[in-house]
Amino acid sequence: MTRALFPALAALTLALALLSLLTGPAGFGIGDSLRALLTGQGEAITLVMREIRLPRVLLAIMVGASLGLSGAALQGYLRNPLAEPGLIGVSGSAALGAVIALQTGAAAAFALALPLAALTGATVAVLLILMLAGPRGGSLTLILAGIAISALAGALTSLALNLSPNPFATAETVFWMMGSLADRSFSHVWIALPFMALGWALLLPLGRGLDALTLGEDAAGALGIRLDRLRLQLVLGVAACVGAATAVAGAIGFVGLVVPHLLRPLVGARPSVLLPASALGGAAMVLLADIAVRLVLPERDLKLGVLMAIVGAPLFLHLIYKTRRAGA
Amino acid sequence: MTLTLDALTIRRGDCPVVDRATLTIAEGEFVGLIGPNGAGKTTLMRGALGLLPHTGRSSLTEMPPQARARHAAWLPQAREIAWPVSVETLVTLGRTPHLSAGQRPGDQDRQTIAQAIATMGLAGFEHRPATELSGGEQARVLIARALAQDTPLILADEPIAGLDPGHQIATMTAFASLARQGKALIVSLHDLGLAARHCTRLILMHKGRIHADGPPEAVLTDANLRDVFGITAHLTHTPDGVIFQPLEVLP
Repeated sequence: MTRALFPALAALTLALALLSLLTGPAGFGIGDSLRALLTGQGEAITLVMREIRLPRVLLAIMVGASLGLSGAALQGYLRNPLAEPGLIGVSGSAALGAVIALQTGAAAAFALALPLAALTGATVAVLLILMLAGPRGGSLTLILAGIAISALAGALTSLALNLSPNPFATAETVFWMMGSLADRSFSHVWIALPFMALGWALLLPLGRGLDALTLGEDAAGALGIRLDRLRLQLVLGVAACVGAATAVAGAIGFVGLVVPHLLRPLVGARPSVLLPASALGGAAMVLLADIAVRLVLPERDLKLGVLMAIVGAPLFLHLIYKTRRAGA
Repeated sequence: MTLTLDALTIRRGDCPVVDRATLTIAEGEFVGLIGPNGAGKTTLMRGALGLLPHTGRSSLTEMPPQARARHAAWLPQAREIAWPVSVETLVTLGRTPHLSAGQRPGDQDRQTIAQAIATMGLAGFEHRPATELSGGEQARVLIARALAQDTPLILADEPIAGLDPGHQIATMTAFASLARQGKALIVSLHDLGLAARHCTRLILMHKGRIHADGPPEAVLTDANLRDVFGITAHLTHTPDGVIFQPLEVLP
């Protein structure tokens, strides 16, 4: 089953990427669209394909893979299927950075101010977490530090909205926080890619340690796994992935929670196999949701994060119901 | 020597939980670590493995982590199996120190894994999810994992607690047979009868210190049982081996 899973997930991701490239209000034909994308024939259509749709597809893949991978890694480390990438407070802090950029007007003055501010917020959160949770210390201190930082970031975000002098900036902020991949450009791809690539490089090799953690921290330590190093690598990797994803797409929940949960039975529950599977699965899920927001309400700019939560929450409830029945 | 401790001390706050423990364990020894609850048995073993900050010396903590994991296997008391992985996958985790990152288990690894599964009487369970087994079966899967690590030294914290009598005896016999093959084992136990019968040596801990250390009959004396456990007991040699039965709690 595992052997067929990766080609299937890759094929699904590729098919959805293609479908996403062909979805949009411009209504070009399939042949024209692909020809324009590959050869640059036709000025307007080439512009749409290369500068609007292609970065959108690439971002959906990058954001989805980052969130899926982070979720799988965190669940593996905490040995808890309810862990999600936002748990360590990085997405909340990245959102706070973005809100400050929107509220101060920096985002309007300079296009990349928003993602850069979000990345700064994520970095501050990581430093705080490492300081609070200490170099040793187990997974519990990490969760507690994450909860505290999330709560603080959430409160400061609310404060910024509360005291906002400008209702337009407030509306913009609220919409931004819903998460979307609309109107992104290649500059967003280039700003997120180095951080995400770093995050993937940090998280993907954790499989061996996460497998050993199936037996608990003590047994894993005695199997030669350096838990302090693993935890540092995990926190930095998740922060790079989630910080960059939030910076370019806003808050997109449920991917990191639901994707590892869906794929776990298909990989024999092994955390090491779940890491790459969740990256591919996350990419496919975000691509699918991003196609859906353009098809369901084409005129109303339905937000990706909203759709994801509306679809994700019932799906998750269904999974919980199934788990409960299997356990009873 | 497979393990040397020299004045190993582990503190929790100011209070030493293990106080200047000094011992050496040689190949072929099956050591029963006994003592009342809170005597420091678990802490001694975790400290010896370097899982707790300590003063004094342990020969294990002087090794780099991977070399240590090839030398000593550790079976914690908490029987944690976080994910519904198959029994075979779980036992394969014991090979972690012998495989580099991304390396798949080879023929030799598979043979060791199969042997560990057979030793613990788990043949036929290989493809069952480990989390769906009963508590006692899970305990045996975890012991098999430690055996699959194939180390000269095995430290196990109450491995037979919660097993049925047949599997308790089978596990103790398997441990004794490993010792005869030249491995060394340190196993904490509360069943003094099984300890007296199967172990080659007992270490009795009391309030963080090593109170007595030697062959079972030299350790399970009336004076030691009275001072440490506050009990009386009956010990006889029979053609079937040593029989030890605790009798009463002293007032």
